[in-house]
Amino acid sequence: MSLPVSLRTSVTPPELELIACQQLIDIIPLITMERTAFISGAYGPLRPPNRAKVPIWMAVNLKTKKKCHIVPPEWLTYDYLKERLEEETSKDGFSKLPFRYIEISKVLLDVASDDLENTDKLRSLLKDLREARQAKCRAGLSQIDYSELSLPNLCAMEINEIRPFFVESMSVLTQLTPPQNIPNS
Amino acid sequence: MDFNDYYSIDAILAENQKVQCKFKQKIPNMGHLGGGTERDITQNAKLQMPVWLSYIILYSGWADLVFPAPFAQRVHNALKAEPRSVRLSGLVGAGASWYMLGRMLMDIIQGSRAKELSEMMTEAFTARLMEVVDQAYHFANVGSMTGVSAAGTPQAFREGLDNTERELFLLARNSEKASKEWYDGGNHRAKPI
Repeated sequence: MSLPVSLRTSVTPPELELIACQQLIDIIPLITMERTAFISGAYGPLRPPNRAKVPIWMAVNLKTKKKCHIVPPEWLTYDYLKERLEEETSKDGFSKLPFRYIEISKVLLDVASDDLENTDKLRSLLKDLREARQAKCRAGLSQIDYSELSLPNLCAMEINEIRPFFVESMSVLTQLTPPQNIPNS
Repeated sequence: MDFNDYYSIDAILAENQKVQCKFKQKIPNMGHLGGGTERDITQNAKLQMPVWLSYIILYSGWADLVFPAPFAQRVHNALKAEPRSVRLSGLVGAGASWYMLGRMLMDIIQGSRAKELSEMMTEAFTARLMEVVDQAYHFANVGSMTGVSAAGTPQAFREGLDNTERELFLLARNSEKASKEWYDGGNHRAKPI
């Protein structure tokens, strides 16, 4: 219990980024490398100009050394995100986006903006998406009760952001509910 | 904040809040419990007892509970009218938790009144929760103004938060801060390693 309070309640955004960076992504390498064993598995071989699948952390590392191009995932395009945003603003539920889309899109936009098209538009789309979804989270807060809250398609970063006070609110509500009203307690 | 947790420091502190007990009989040599200089507790004396002590006194039938003012009908009506304008911190005193006191009161009184109390607190909590979280999210923009706070301003509401809500406010505030830091985070990855 010697952890600071801020780390006790949930994981931090940088930790989520680290987790997201384990996912595989396509790259077009500019260097040759034999199949190499890492702790998380063996990746490669890298043979330009053939595509290879490597974890994002490795792609980022190679990219910063200008040793590869990153092939953006199919959802990180203007058209796809535009569609999701329209869905987001016209419908009630959350639109279906990859579970770690926030982390991955930020990493790729930071590191590999030259491999993406329309980066400015992508950034503003992602921001709009985030705000639209945040508004829905807020609405979800008003429906909170002691037993459950269902917000399907919420993403890792969003869950993490609302987790501390949602969990706490629900535990307070549990306490305020008379014990005989809580089944199986 | 876990109300029932044996090891929870919050629960221990909450049990230290006082409720008023009206004694039905004379109890010799126990006057110090009331904190006064009297030697005995006289019949019909009304004394402030900490909650942890009141359990045994009430269950043994030595005294009756005087229903605490923070949960009186007047407060109930005010909460019904506009939950966000009630200053819960003013009701129980600084650093104390209105919800926790209510929770312990529920345990003491049981029955239909406890149910009423639970409904009142649940309604008040959910109605105020939105405002708590909203303000936590926009705290950076609003800033911490100093000086006199007029009724109905965000600052007045913040000052009226009881301890439970204060903790929630902090949780939401920190979570928002951490996220914002990350979203706005510098392009630290772009540097070649």
